[in-house]
Amino acid sequence: METFIPLAIAILAAPLFPGIILKVKAFFAGKNGPPLLIKYYTLIKLLKKGSVYSNSTTFVFKLGPIVSFASAFIVLLFFPFAGGSPLFSFHGDVIALFYLMGIGRFFTVAAALDTASPFEGMGAAREVFFSTLAEVTIFTVLVLFYRLTGSLSFAEYFTGENPISLLSASGALLLFVIVALFMVMLTENSRVPVDDPATHLELTMIHEVMVLDHSGPDLALIELGSFYKLFFYAAFITHILYPFTAASSLVNGLIFYALLSLIYVAIGITESIMARFKMDLVPKFILTSFALVFFAAILTMGVLQ
Amino acid sequence: MDTFLLSLTVLFAGGMFALIAHRQFSLMKAGYIAITVAGSLMGLSAIWPTLQGGSPVSFSTTWLHLFTLSFTVDSLSAFFLLPIFAICPLAVLYSFHYMENSEQCGRVAANYFFLNVLVVSMALVASADNLIGFALVWELMSLSSFFLVMYEYQKEATRKAGYIYFIFTHVGALCIFAAFALAYSSTGSYDFASFADMPAKVKAIVFFLALAGFGSKAGIFPMHMWLPHAHPAAPSHISAVMSGVMIKMGIYGIFRLYASLGVTDLIFGEVVLCLGIISGILGVVYAIGNQDLKKLLAYSSVENIGIILIGMGIGMIGVASGNMVMASFAFAGALLHVLNHSIFKTLLFLGAGAVLHKTGGKHLDLLGGLMKKMPTTGKTFLIGSVSISGLPPTNGYVGEFLIYYGAFHGLTLGGSSFLFVMLAIISLAIIGGLAVACFSKVVGMVFLGEPRTEKAATATEAGFSVTLPMIVLAAASIFIGLFPEPFINLVFLGLNGIKSLQLVGPEEVAIVAGNLAFIARLFLAIFLLSVALRKLFYLKKEIVRGATWGCGFTQPTVKIQYTGTSYGMSIVDFFRPFVRIRTSYSGITRIFPGRTTYESRIDDIAEITLMDRIVSPLLYLLGKLRWIQHGHIQLYIGYIIVTIIALLLFI
Repeated sequence: METFIPLAIAILAAPLFPGIILKVKAFFAGKNGPPLLIKYYTLIKLLKKGSVYSNSTTFVFKLGPIVSFASAFIVLLFFPFAGGSPLFSFHGDVIALFYLMGIGRFFTVAAALDTASPFEGMGAAREVFFSTLAEVTIFTVLVLFYRLTGSLSFAEYFTGENPISLLSASGALLLFVIVALFMVMLTENSRVPVDDPATHLELTMIHEVMVLDHSGPDLALIELGSFYKLFFYAAFITHILYPFTAASSLVNGLIFYALLSLIYVAIGITESIMARFKMDLVPKFILTSFALVFFAAILTMGVLQ
Repeated sequence: MDTFLLSLTVLFAGGMFALIAHRQFSLMKAGYIAITVAGSLMGLSAIWPTLQGGSPVSFSTTWLHLFTLSFTVDSLSAFFLLPIFAICPLAVLYSFHYMENSEQCGRVAANYFFLNVLVVSMALVASADNLIGFALVWELMSLSSFFLVMYEYQKEATRKAGYIYFIFTHVGALCIFAAFALAYSSTGSYDFASFADMPAKVKAIVFFLALAGFGSKAGIFPMHMWLPHAHPAAPSHISAVMSGVMIKMGIYGIFRLYASLGVTDLIFGEVVLCLGIISGILGVVYAIGNQDLKKLLAYSSVENIGIILIGMGIGMIGVASGNMVMASFAFAGALLHVLNHSIFKTLLFLGAGAVLHKTGGKHLDLLGGLMKKMPTTGKTFLIGSVSISGLPPTNGYVGEFLIYYGAFHGLTLGGSSFLFVMLAIISLAIIGGLAVACFSKVVGMVFLGEPRTEKAATATEAGFSVTLPMIVLAAASIFIGLFPEPFINLVFLGLNGIKSLQLVGPEEVAIVAGNLAFIARLFLAIFLLSVALRKLFYLKKEIVRGATWGCGFTQPTVKIQYTGTSYGMSIVDFFRPFVRIRTSYSGITRIFPGRTTYESRIDDIAEITLMDRIVSPLLYLLGKLRWIQHGHIQLYIGYIIVTIIALLLFI
């Protein structure tokens, strides 16, 4: 039960949080904004609909939403939400999970190319390029974490004998990681300043343009997958911020969701006060995150000697 | 050993049969394929006991009353023999519908003959146990593959490719033979076993000389130049065998050398690791930049050789620093990637061949939409692409995971080793990401979207002998991904031959393999559940077909699709100093523009450097010496006599 309840809450609550981002953005714009549950309404609306498929597409187009949803969902099963024990865990699962996110990306991109649309091809080309760079940052983070704790799974990172947290002895290094992971989160989840899902011009989009042709339940699966992905990254950062070692899982859960909401608020603030970068600045932005983590990893050579 | 020799004899007889029966075209093909498949099956049954951990079997004979040729199938050899005997018959079967031109029956027969000579010589390379035997069969392998590349000798591009291959393979052989000569002069023995007795300095020279030689066969950057020329020139099943199986003989050479030299210094691992990083990253970058399907696959072979070398490099560093968990898993990953690459690269080359055969084009920007016309080829190619990108739940991922696993366990090392291992992990991440970019491009441009040319629009599915091998290989890719345990065990048995490596216990291996299998199956289960969920949501829903949303543009043509060139350009541009991009744009000059052209091409810096820095100065220098060549036979005889006398002075 200890395992299933936090997981079930996470699975059900993930669509709630993007609503927070919208609220924050509306606040900055001086508007009321959509209701907090807007994403649930959107999902229900999409699930009720049928679909239009392009004549150019094949079965690959329909595989895209399924694989991207499955690859985002499986990550949640391995994550120790609020310091509870995850459903599954093994030494080395992080490598496997980040590669599983890769297969989600592969099929999203393939589905985009299947539509024969020039815009979707353009979005696909950008997506594979930027996410490659983001992956480099993530693996460097894993290198740093291994160096600090000798562990290779989410459960070991956050609930093991030597949990990673900002309050521990090597916490200073984790400041770099938090900033870098925040940048990666913005990149991988197509947020401003890397991507702007709300723009009216397809030419300037990255991720959103790739799913232009999806509709109905297919689009709902994509949306749900992207909520899970964002939720995972936000939870990852939350766990680095604060160790959930309190005895009561209720207290842990409350602190977790409070901190998690703060991260979504931070995304909302970032989106409100920044404009999207020019495309050629995006690689520099992502490489900055890499440089931060690489620096932290190099520092461990001195710390441990 | 008898079964092994018998299988080689049968394979050779198959080649002879093709030569003898070449006038009866279909009979020749059917008979040849039957004999070759039978020979390969015999070969598999011969190596089976050794693969299962049985004791090595040997065979030796004297040659010219002077030399002893000895061959041993030990666990490492057996592992490399596995792709030879398992992949080659599939490529041979593929050729039944691929080699359809009965007017060129003589040439096809010769191609079959040399193919079987190649298979026999590769099998002998993997089992050769002394220097003379190894050198002989290595040379036989190089020559037979040269003739295979030269199949379409009327084309100038093919002759050029063959020539480049010939030069590279022989410069490589030169290095290997020099290393062997040095080893012989130091130990006085032809046996690989005596390598361990050499002084450390000689060992280092022998290792690096032979590494250069084996590297040119394996396609390590910058000695990879023959691959992007030879693979497009050769028929597709030949490219498949050469890229999937033959270049692994170079890797085998490095493994064998490392095992027999018993070197444990850090420098060996660091050099191999650096070569792997360079080959891996630049290989995939060039693959993204190239739009010729077979050339792209050739560069991707360079990338995968890079991944294998990264694994070996980490393994060697692990051995050197006594971290056996790191060494065991990294070596295991490298060795498993050898098998995996031979499966998915063969699959992709066969798929590329089917596309080439049916559309006549292999330029990515002239294809498209083939998934509808060639569904079996398309689906198997998709599986191969996922696999070569190293994504779970396919086999490509299993090998890469083991390398990562080993590398992460090496992060506890101090000093420079830590930096090297960290670089290796970062490079693997870059390679993984770029491989996704590369193969999503290939699948997207060739099989998805709308056909860009008439020929692509009218393509039809290839015959069953072409699709069957691809189905088998695609199934193998997924099977190894979902059931990796027996294959990982196989790899660990193969590694027993490396004396300096103390393998981790079978319990730990079983745990890692079990976890890998678990997550692959879990993903498959979630995937199937999602499929069911989607089906449920679509019950009684209205499904409409329409045109792709053109963002307000109502008259789209197939030409506005994103091309492979534009898809990869931003990535290639990112690696600019290491890749040369040349563009020519005619520009728009008048108010009503006429026909404008834009052309871009990506040049290999290794090739440019070789041409500018080595070949051109050498040609200039040799041009100065041209007066020696005058055509007077009596003077040539004079040269010979003078040379002999001069040499006699040294005795």
